[in-house]
Amino acid sequence: MCDLNEILKPILLHGHERAITQIKYNREGDLIFSAAKDNQPNVWYSLNGERLGSFKGHNGAVWCIDVNWDTTKVLTGSADNSCKLWDCETGKNLNTLDVKNAVRTCGFSYSGNLIMYSTDKTMGHPCEIHIFDVGDPGQMKSGEPCMIIPVAGPKITSAIWGPYEEYIIAGLESGEICHFDTKTGEKLNAVKEHSKQINDLQLSLDFSMLMSASKDTTAKLYDTTTLKHMKTYKTERPVNSAALSPLQEHVVLGGGQEAMEVTTTSTRVGKFDARFYHLIFEEEFGRVKGHFGPINSLAFHPDGKSYSSGGEDGYVRVHYFDPEYFDFRFEF
Amino acid sequence: MVKIVKTYKVEKRRAAKTIARRKNWRKFGAAENDPPGPNPANTIVQVEEINIQIILNKENKNQEPEEDPLAKLKTQKLVSCRICKGDHWTTKCPYKDTLGPIQETLETDKKKPEEPSGGAPVQAAAAPVATNKQGGKYVPPSMRDGAAKGRGETMKSSRDESATIRVTNLSEDTRESDLQELFRPFGPIQRIYLAKDKNTGQSKGFAFINFHRREDAARAIAGVSGFGYDHLILNVEWAKPSGTA
Repeated sequence: MCDLNEILKPILLHGHERAITQIKYNREGDLIFSAAKDNQPNVWYSLNGERLGSFKGHNGAVWCIDVNWDTTKVLTGSADNSCKLWDCETGKNLNTLDVKNAVRTCGFSYSGNLIMYSTDKTMGHPCEIHIFDVGDPGQMKSGEPCMIIPVAGPKITSAIWGPYEEYIIAGLESGEICHFDTKTGEKLNAVKEHSKQINDLQLSLDFSMLMSASKDTTAKLYDTTTLKHMKTYKTERPVNSAALSPLQEHVVLGGGQEAMEVTTTSTRVGKFDARFYHLIFEEEFGRVKGHFGPINSLAFHPDGKSYSSGGEDGYVRVHYFDPEYFDFRFEF
Repeated sequence: MVKIVKTYKVEKRRAAKTIARRKNWRKFGAAENDPPGPNPANTIVQVEEINIQIILNKENKNQEPEEDPLAKLKTQKLVSCRICKGDHWTTKCPYKDTLGPIQETLETDKKKPEEPSGGAPVQAAAAPVATNKQGGKYVPPSMRDGAAKGRGETMKSSRDESATIRVTNLSEDTRESDLQELFRPFGPIQRIYLAKDKNTGQSKGFAFINFHRREDAARAIAGVSGFGYDHLILNVEWAKPSGTA
């Protein structure tokens, strides 16, 4: 049941009391998962914005959320020093992995058999990547990871699985992006194209391209395997998230002032719009306004016909593209 | 009383089995007690449509006129130094120490004569008008474009005053015809000017004779000077240029 008259109008998902930290679609795109600085991640139907449920159990800000390939399990990482695995259908907590410090990033590998999370470098504990085998109940119960990759130097601010579970792509606080081999823990490739912290990393639908969003006001495109820098998308504010369209040669960038400066900035000059750039020409061609705080996370629907943005204002906005967007062609 | 009208459209979509199955999942967590369909407390459909703003070409066009005035301002001299007329503030002038004191003394010298006469405010008021028109320094009326093309210039250019003699000590009864008679023997005369009283028409006692040739004028001086005419002795000399007279 849904209101078709309103299909072009954005749907606001207001299930969080605090700033959204990360949003993700599942593989088919019928569900949206949202994590916020309050302690309850939510899951929504993307078509009409109906809330399917929330995951109760965390005691701190939830920094990251991910869902596996067949939408059976959900993984969340929180500042309460734990990473939790949930059953997606019932919302029950399956496992809690206790860590020494806050979990900053987490993710399922493509098969859904492995999970990884990275921890913050706080309270005397180093920044580490932990990898678990979800299929091994012993590991999940004891909380003993099958692989620990210590990260020396600047901490990880964003991390995702690379293709074929061979490596983890990590963005560091220093602006460096590197590969960590999942078998040996070795640092394989490293590039430093950004001058400030990496806020977000996302892959294209076929995993061939990597998109990075940085505090240095740019987003960049790389070849996933070689980390060769290909394109740069420039803005005038920190970029918190950048996503690649699975349908068109477009990218969308979201960002804005730092949270601490938001109260002193009006919506109009705050530049909280989602900004659309052409993938190849690096040229901005469209904007969608709506948030009254910086956009913290962006995600395209896997069919490329809608996208969602989660903002510091606590709202998730689901936008369905209007026909103008599909008719739009770049003039050469 | 508030009447709330809600219109729903029930739509059937074909979806993958997995999606269809998920559609029938029971709600859990905070949404456990929600009725089927979106809960208006959590799901708000924005009333206004927000479409993507296509900005590619429009923005480029809008930006250009915005930049133009700035570019113009850059070329324009916004700041002019009072000391060296350079493109900077007077206080930042590199010649401040060398040229500054000299100018100050000059300016105080200028001001001194103005102040006692009491004409300073009038001049100050007049000057801005002039600057507006000329777009620069004050130009006295006689030097301005329109006024300058007066008699003075045309007379100077058309007549050669080097062959002009001045005759003084003429009697009151003298007429132009008398002078013509007197000076014609020396050479061809271009023009004779006899100063006359406006009211009575009588001679004021002096005249200017323009010869065509300077030699003729010289001979006239030699011949007529000291010549007794009527009851007076004529005095003939070179006419001084009109400006200095």
